[in-house]
Formats: sequence, structure tokens, C-alpha cells
Amino acid sequence: MALAVKYHPGTKSPKSLERADMVQINFAKKQVNAKVVYYGPGMSGKTTNLEVIHQRAPEGNRGELTSISTEGDRTLFFDFMPLDLGTVAGMRTCFQIYTVPGQVYYSSTRKLVLQGVDGLIFVADSSPNMMEENLESLRDLAENLAEYGRSIEDMPLVIQYNKRDVPGALSIDELEEKLNPTGVPAFEAIANTGQGVFPTLKAVAASVLDSLHRQQGEVTGSGTCREGAEPGDEPQAAGQQAASASSTPMPVSAHEAPAHEHGPTSSASPTAGDGSSEAARPTIPMSQTGFHEAPSVPISQAGPAGVEEEVPPVTSASEEVSSQGLRMAPPQVASSGLQMKASEPVNPPAPAPQAPQAPQAPQPTHPVSQVQQPVAQSAVQTRTRRAKRPAQAAASTMEVEAGATAPKRRAPNSRSFPSSPAMPEARPTPKAKRNAMVTGVIIVASVLIGAILGSFVLSIL
Amino acid sequence: MTKDHKLREAHLCFYEKDIAEIDQELDGFLELSGARCALLVDRSGHMVTRRGTSLDGSLESVAALAAGSFSATREMARLLGEGEFNHLFHQGSRESIQISAVGDRSLFVIVFDDHSNLGLVRFYAEESSARLKEIFASISLQEDKGDGGLSDDFSSKATAALDELF
Repeated sequence: MALAVKYHPGTKSPKSLERADMVQINFAKKQVNAKVVYYGPGMSGKTTNLEVIHQRAPEGNRGELTSISTEGDRTLFFDFMPLDLGTVAGMRTCFQIYTVPGQVYYSSTRKLVLQGVDGLIFVADSSPNMMEENLESLRDLAENLAEYGRSIEDMPLVIQYNKRDVPGALSIDELEEKLNPTGVPAFEAIANTGQGVFPTLKAVAASVLDSLHRQQGEVTGSGTCREGAEPGDEPQAAGQQAASASSTPMPVSAHEAPAHEHGPTSSASPTAGDGSSEAARPTIPMSQTGFHEAPSVPISQAGPAGVEEEVPPVTSASEEVSSQGLRMAPPQVASSGLQMKASEPVNPPAPAPQAPQAPQAPQPTHPVSQVQQPVAQSAVQTRTRRAKRPAQAAASTMEVEAGATAPKRRAPNSRSFPSSPAMPEARPTPKAKRNAMVTGVIIVASVLIGAILGSFVLSIL
Repeated sequence: MTKDHKLREAHLCFYEKDIAEIDQELDGFLELSGARCALLVDRSGHMVTRRGTSLDGSLESVAALAAGSFSATREMARLLGEGEFNHLFHQGSRESIQISAVGDRSLFVIVFDDHSNLGLVRFYAEESSARLKEIFASISLQEDKGDGGLSDDFSSKATAALDELF
């Protein structure tokens, strides 16, 4: 069970990893995962947004709504809900939607939730006297993003002006001027009635997807991004591009738009396709935000019935072993009366052949050969350190191993999971090593018992 | 830098061969440790892959909460002057969860019951974590596996799907 931890010269530093957008693309499982976070001051309606989405999303597309909150319904850590869009262009597309605790006190917790975020919805409170809290939260957002080496200007961001029904609500012009100087898409909402919730979500989703697509385009040269543009360089452009690519209402920047039209205008279509007439508005009034009730019947494009069912039925090695009655047994005394000592599992038989293998491993990059020796040394050190670990662990652990080893003893290659043809080299499995170790112990014990019996017989004679 | 390297830098990106290698490692771990289920989760809370018997609850939620929990302990570690705690263990009356860091981007989440025990799980988890880290390091340097990328109309189709949903 030797370890050979290789440190590739080309491996990125943690800092650069944190800077990277973290949309997860899993080509093996045909899945794209993106993380969207609702941010904003306390009690501005972030959790309410999520609850509305959960209530109105079709059963087959929504996951479980998990909420870590206090008894007073204040979010303590985060709320979380997966939203499955179903299979899109051959990829199962899923948004993981989070909220953060809004109170100033929980700043460090908010920062944790922002890790790997792909899109942000800033939920501003339109209530009178809440401007300072909104500004404080926006500053906090910028600071927390900066801790991950990211900038609020580089993120797909949408602002939602919530609680528009509060008496004496701050004017949209004032909110826009102070909270949205860069002119990101903004929407009015009354989250507790559901108004404005979905247009906001759609806008950020479109922006995230477009950002992903643009970066993919940069990589593959598919031409979806302008030459030389950095990923996330121009979020507004991303938003506009997304708007043009979809029917989601996506207003243009306030700087580019004429004066804001506030108040209800006539007869907007209740569908999401009403964005066609909204290109000139910096914010989308509620009357035009395209809100409508979620369909009561799951749409045909709905994905599999549930998240749990979506995961392909995996018959793991442990399941196979279990079905054959070979699953690791609880602690038991070996029938031979030989009980493995705590130090035995780490006896060296296994690691020995590992060191010479290191140079044989195919290493595609030449600098690796230069670090082979330190790697080998570190492996040896790691093994030495590790050798003490089981002894420090409870002796019962070792008894479990001893008890479990007997029924699991098989031919060295009989590991039940198939050996991947892609593996660069055949590494001795931990099981094979343990089998060899146990065999050695049995031989030694047999010799000892034979000797004792022999001497006993001789003494009788 | 190849296009595949750029894609991997821009996103957490896994191909068929990567997952096969990771799954093989997880299977080996489950066989040796006797644990019920092993998940590989990225630090944002997205599940990369999982092996073993399924859990009753939503795996997505387990993955998100495990990532959140690990992040919280990392913050505690920072306050104590530690870089991060490498292992996290939650003990229940029947089921327990062990979480181990795998490099800078992923977490190894193990669910086990009384068919195994903490010592055994931790011992093999540490070894598997090191090997998974090795796999991650190697796949970050590998070339395109020919899985292709996202289709050109992915963004517009996904947005249309969202429109249809609500």
C-alpha cells in the first residue's frame, strides 16, 4: 500500500484554482453543474425566492430543499436546492441554488457559500431605510469574492429589487443609482407572492450558461466569443448575448439605456417571451416580468423522476462482495487461533516492489523524471509514518482486518472490479499485498506449531 | 497549452477515462474498508461520482452539505492557525460519515455503518485520498479524450428549457 504522491510541475497553485470558474462539466456522466447563489442583506427575501422556486418547480425537476436555519427562520448557514433542467443538448443540466445568511454577523459563513459560485443574484430590500444595509451587503459581496480572487464585475450577476409592495418603498431610480452603477440586469419583485422570482432566476441562468458557452467557445475556437476576450470579462455583454439567445427578459445596462420606465405598462404577455420589448429598460417592472404559475403537469422535457433515480444503478465491488457473502465481517477471532498483531498489517511485504516501479511508470512530461527521486523518498517517508497509524488505532481495527482477511482471500488477481485498460501500469492491489502477508504469517505459524509438536513428541518419547 | 488544458482550468472538467479511474479507486476502497458508499465531491458541493449502495436521502444534498461542513471546519482551522483540517468525522448511532480532503479541489465523502469502523475507514481513506490526488494531478495534464465539448447551441437550448420549466 505504498504511496507515490507525484507533484507535477504543471499543477496549478491553489490560488489559481480558486480563481477558476467552477462549473462542473462531467462528460462521463453527461452532466453540467452550475452554482447560483442568492446574496443580500438579512430578511431581504433570499430564502423566500428559493421557497417559491421549490414550490412551483415541477416535481421531477426539483430536488430537496435543504435549509440550515434558526428557529426564527433566519438562515444560519445556507439553504440549498438542486434544480434539474433535464437533458439539454445531450447533457443533464443542473443548477445548485444556494442562499446565504444575510446578517452582518455571518460574513465568514457567506464567504464559504460563495466558493465555486458561477452566478449571483443580489436581492436588495426596497424597504425605506434599508439602503445602507443593501450597500453594506454589496460591499461585503465584493470583499468576499475578492477573497477567492474574483471580482464582482467578472461574475454573472443579476439584481432583484424585492419587496416592491412595501409602503414607501425606495424608488427604482434611487436603487439603480446606488446599487447598480455598472448596469447589470435588474428586476423588480415581490418574492412572497412569487412575482419577479422566475425572471430573475432565468436571467442569471442565461448569463451563467452564456458565460460557460463563451469560455467553451474560447477553448474550442467555436467563435462564440470575441477574440482576445477574457472569460467573464464583460458580464453585461454576456447578459445581452444571453438575452438575444433566449426568450428570457434581459435588460440592457442602465448606462446604455434611456430613462427608466417605471410602473405598469399594458398587456405584457404572461409568458417568458415578453422580453422582446424590454431591451430599452434598465429594470423589468413586475407587470412585465413574465411571471406565471408553474405548470401543474410536469413538462415533457422534465428529467427523470427524481434526483435519486437519476444516478445510474451502480453495482459496486462492495455490493458484489456483499451479495456473495464475502463482505468484511465484524471483528472475529481467526479459527486458526492466530490473531494478527497490530503491527502486522503494515509489514513491509507489499511496499517493497513499489519503489522500483516508479521509474517504469509512463511519464509524459520530461520534468517529471527530475522529480522522481524526491517522490520516491517522500513515498518511503509516508509509508514509515503510516506504519504507526494502525498501531495507534484501536487493536480491534486490526482484528477486523484479520477476521476479514480470511474469507476474502482469493487469487491475487481476483479483485472483483474490472481492471481498467486505461491504467498505465498494473499496480499490486492492497488486497493482494494483504493476502501475501497473511500467507506468510500462516507459513511461519505452521512451522512454529510443527516445531512445538515435534519437540512435544520427542519429549514424550 | 492545449485547448483541453484550458477547458480544465476554466472549469472542473471530467472525462470518461477520468471517471473510470476514480471509480476503480473508489471500488477498491469500498471493498477493503467495508464502507457503504463513497462519494467524490468538488469543493463547490457538486458531486463528481459515487460508488456503493445508495443512500435514502438526496445525494446532491449530502454532497452540498458535506462541502459546506468541510468549508466551515476549514474556517475554524484557519482561526486556530491551521491550514485546514484534513479529515472530518460525524458519528451517528447507525450511520457515520467521514470526509477527507483530496487535493485542493475535491472531497472524499464516505458513508459507513457498523459493518466497518472508523479506524479501518480512515486508514484506507487516507491511502485512497492520496491516490485520488495523484489521479487528479495526472488527469490535469492529459490530453483531450475525444469526448467532445458542449454543443454550440447548448446555452440557448438550456435557457429554452428553463423557460419551459417556469
